[in-house]
Amino acid sequence: MIKLSNSLLLGIFTKLLVLLVVAKGLSLAILAYLPSDGVEMAQIKNYQPQYKRVDFKVMIQNTQENSKTISPRTGSNSVSITNMILKGLYGKKNSGFVIVALKSSVKKTSIVAVGEVFSGFTLKSIDLTSAIFIKDSKEYVLELEKTKSTGSVTTIDEENSDEPKSVQKSDISFYEKNPKEIWKDISIQEIKNAQEIEGFKVTRIAQKSKMAGLGLKKGDMIIKANNIELKSYKDVMDIYSKINTLDTIQIVVVRNNQEKELIYEIHE
Amino acid sequence: MVKKVSLFFAYFAFFLLALMYFTPKENLYYLLEKELRTYDLIISNEGVKDSGFTLNLENADLFIKSIKSANAKAVNVNFFALYNSVKISDITLSNVAASFIPLQIDELRFTYSIFNPLNINVYGIGEFGEAEAAFNVLERSLHIDVKPSDKMKKEYKNSMRQLQKSQEGGYSYDKTF
Repeated sequence: MIKLSNSLLLGIFTKLLVLLVVAKGLSLAILAYLPSDGVEMAQIKNYQPQYKRVDFKVMIQNTQENSKTISPRTGSNSVSITNMILKGLYGKKNSGFVIVALKSSVKKTSIVAVGEVFSGFTLKSIDLTSAIFIKDSKEYVLELEKTKSTGSVTTIDEENSDEPKSVQKSDISFYEKNPKEIWKDISIQEIKNAQEIEGFKVTRIAQKSKMAGLGLKKGDMIIKANNIELKSYKDVMDIYSKINTLDTIQIVVVRNNQEKELIYEIHE
Repeated sequence: MVKKVSLFFAYFAFFLLALMYFTPKENLYYLLEKELRTYDLIISNEGVKDSGFTLNLENADLFIKSIKSANAKAVNVNFFALYNSVKISDITLSNVAASFIPLQIDELRFTYSIFNPLNINVYGIGEFGEAEAAFNVLERSLHIDVKPSDKMKKEYKNSMRQLQKSQEGGYSYDKTF
């Protein structure tokens, strides 16, 4: 009878088994030092309301002019909901007000609070992008006006003017198609406080370039765009990717330790 | 003697293969992710599967500085110590890159071999054409040979200007980091 312990195969098998156990033990030891989970991109889906520049002086004047038509639970029934435009809204659900106008006179805006009546329609509640009106026990949803750019952006030469500057849509399209041209005219550098981006500093701006015409100056630190704090490249790209759909761009820069708001209206 | 040495190498090879098989590749990948995060690179939303000797990722989104820059349908990672490769298939670049390069890349393959230790080789094919690149680790220099597609030549003239035309009719790009 051949002893099993003398078998060559058994010897090899034992050695292989030992190697397997050592390999497994080593991998378990490595595992103890490795992270158990990876890195995921946290997508914070914040609702970002459309940036609207509202001239309160005009609104107050219009409100006074229209005060007769916005009396609670009154008004004429001659206007259809399709003739109305929702130009802005403030608040949510059962509190707040909306800014509405009739298509026949777009510039005449009216402020309607929840519960008030406009042209026969009672404002019932406010959603994120729409307002719900009631007429004859039927609900009507009026969506926020989708702004179309019409015309051109107005440039204001006065340096310190807070009035909107005008920007041609063609200029934006040009820079969008030729992004390298942007960096010929302007250099921007991120400014960090520890790990967090505080803003983006203009380190160079070409004289007589289109960029210089926008009122930006060397040393300006751009901290906000359309009310969104620019804390990452993603914030910048979010604005950049929507630039074709915007009709107004507001940026806030820190200049001489003071915040300054620059507003651009985009026109065809 | 020769028999003993051969046997030793055979056992050693077996041990290496066993170690490769048992190595927690998923966790190693997580470590890589954490390292990449320090360079503002995040791979997200991916499915990770340890398939013995290889690691497979599905539907991975690449974020650079928090901006979604690309999506890859499949990534296949091979760690064989002597020969390592990463094959990325079906890549769609973000629209942000639309003005520089066609957005669809069919395949991108990175290879690193111990027999050519100073170079990481890259091969890519897609709507842009075909490219072969070599990154020299010591000199930190990148050399790319590109065979651009007709689409690339016609619609991405600005990007093409960044390439140097070689005498053989191809294009190349060199950069040192």
